[in-house]
Amino acid sequence: MIYINNLYKSFKNGELKILKGITETIETGEKVVLIGPSGSGKSTLLRCINLLEVPDSGSIVIDGTDITAPKTDINKVRENLGMVFQHFNLFPHLSIMENITLAPIKVKKQPKEQAQQRALELLKRVGLEDKADSYPIQLSGGQKQRIAIARALAMDPKIMLFDEPTSALDPEMVGEVLEVMKELAQYGMTMVVVTHEMGFAREVADRVWFMDDGNIQEQGTPEAVFEHPKNERTQLFLSKIL
Amino acid sequence: MNILQSISNGLYATFVKDGRWEWFLSGLGYTLLISLAAVLLGLIIGILAALGKLSRIKPLKWIASLYVDVIRGTPTMVQLLIIYFIIFAHVNLSPWIVGALGFAINSGAYIAEIVRGGILSIDKGQTEAGRSLGLSQAQTMMFIIMPQTMKNILPALANEFIVLIKETAVIGMISNIDLLGAAKKVQGRTYDYLYPLLGAAVIYYVVIKILSTCLNRVEARMRKADER
Repeated sequence: MIYINNLYKSFKNGELKILKGITETIETGEKVVLIGPSGSGKSTLLRCINLLEVPDSGSIVIDGTDITAPKTDINKVRENLGMVFQHFNLFPHLSIMENITLAPIKVKKQPKEQAQQRALELLKRVGLEDKADSYPIQLSGGQKQRIAIARALAMDPKIMLFDEPTSALDPEMVGEVLEVMKELAQYGMTMVVVTHEMGFAREVADRVWFMDDGNIQEQGTPEAVFEHPKNERTQLFLSKIL
Repeated sequence: MNILQSISNGLYATFVKDGRWEWFLSGLGYTLLISLAAVLLGLIIGILAALGKLSRIKPLKWIASLYVDVIRGTPTMVQLLIIYFIIFAHVNLSPWIVGALGFAINSGAYIAEIVRGGILSIDKGQTEAGRSLGLSQAQTMMFIIMPQTMKNILPALANEFIVLIKETAVIGMISNIDLLGAAKKVQGRTYDYLYPLLGAAVIYYVVIKILSTCLNRVEARMRKADER
């Protein structure tokens, strides 16, 4: 479970206020999709959850651990949080197998054989078991993103964070990545997804958060937010993209 | 005496008589040895200095910045003389070791800037991906950032080695063991500047030409491999 309590974040020494006091809860196993115009703070909020951005004030408590407390070992916390980036961020100097097994071997101290076996299972799951010995440069965007998901899953995270995972993909590759994410959702993974894929949000999300101007302006089931938006800004945003 | 005979006499006295070609060979050997040792040791110093300059720990940052600043702001020859006549004045080390150390300390400052630029040129997403997987900052640097940095800066390092081959000629201030030193020793015997100096220049040129051609080939091949 994730408690976000009165979270503030700004950039450029406070000049640029991005998050303005966000308070929310995400249940274990829940799928939350964040939508909203660019610059509304969706990605920043997501990046705060694994402290890639350090909030100015407020707190985030994940499964009872206040990750914003100074004494918290953030590396330990991050082991339970998988993150998938817009630009994949695969390690270009490592093979696909090494990309996936690096963290389990170095962080979890798994034996190499065990990590490799697990990697093969994950590669099978994302449909790329024949790519173990390839390098990232040899893969298409959709394949890279599926590998990035497998890499995150190799640490057996309890929560997966997705930061616009399909925004950098050619249209014909979006489907294959969303399929993997849908499958993951069926396994009961807790997921927080920033995306512009409204179809995915409708199908998978338990709740949709509409963010604008550093706050969650409206939230509810996909049906409630998409079909009967109450907030004027939500209506305006949806009228532009649907 | 015609001109051809004078040339052949000069070449004979410079390279053949008393086996003087061996002096040049040994001098070239020391020049290459000192340059290679300096660039390898300089790489270690350079990596440490680059990490220091990028560190968030203020004293480390200051020390690394001061080192790079002072070395780049003073002549190589002055540094070499200070190291030989002051720092190692009472230590009995062979001149080539002192020379290699001196050039390593000198080169380290330039390599530090190469390494720093290399680290900064790696996409920030690489660090974020590493950290998000639970790797510590040090692990991310060691397993993700540095391997990519080293590959990117390899051509610049090889170039630094080639530059050092030329720069190490100033080691003559402390000892005549290098290639130029061999020319000076021969000149001391023959009282002729022309052939020893031209000979040394030709040898420097040929060696550097060979090395830089190899470097260009390797670079081209690396670029091709990246386009795979």
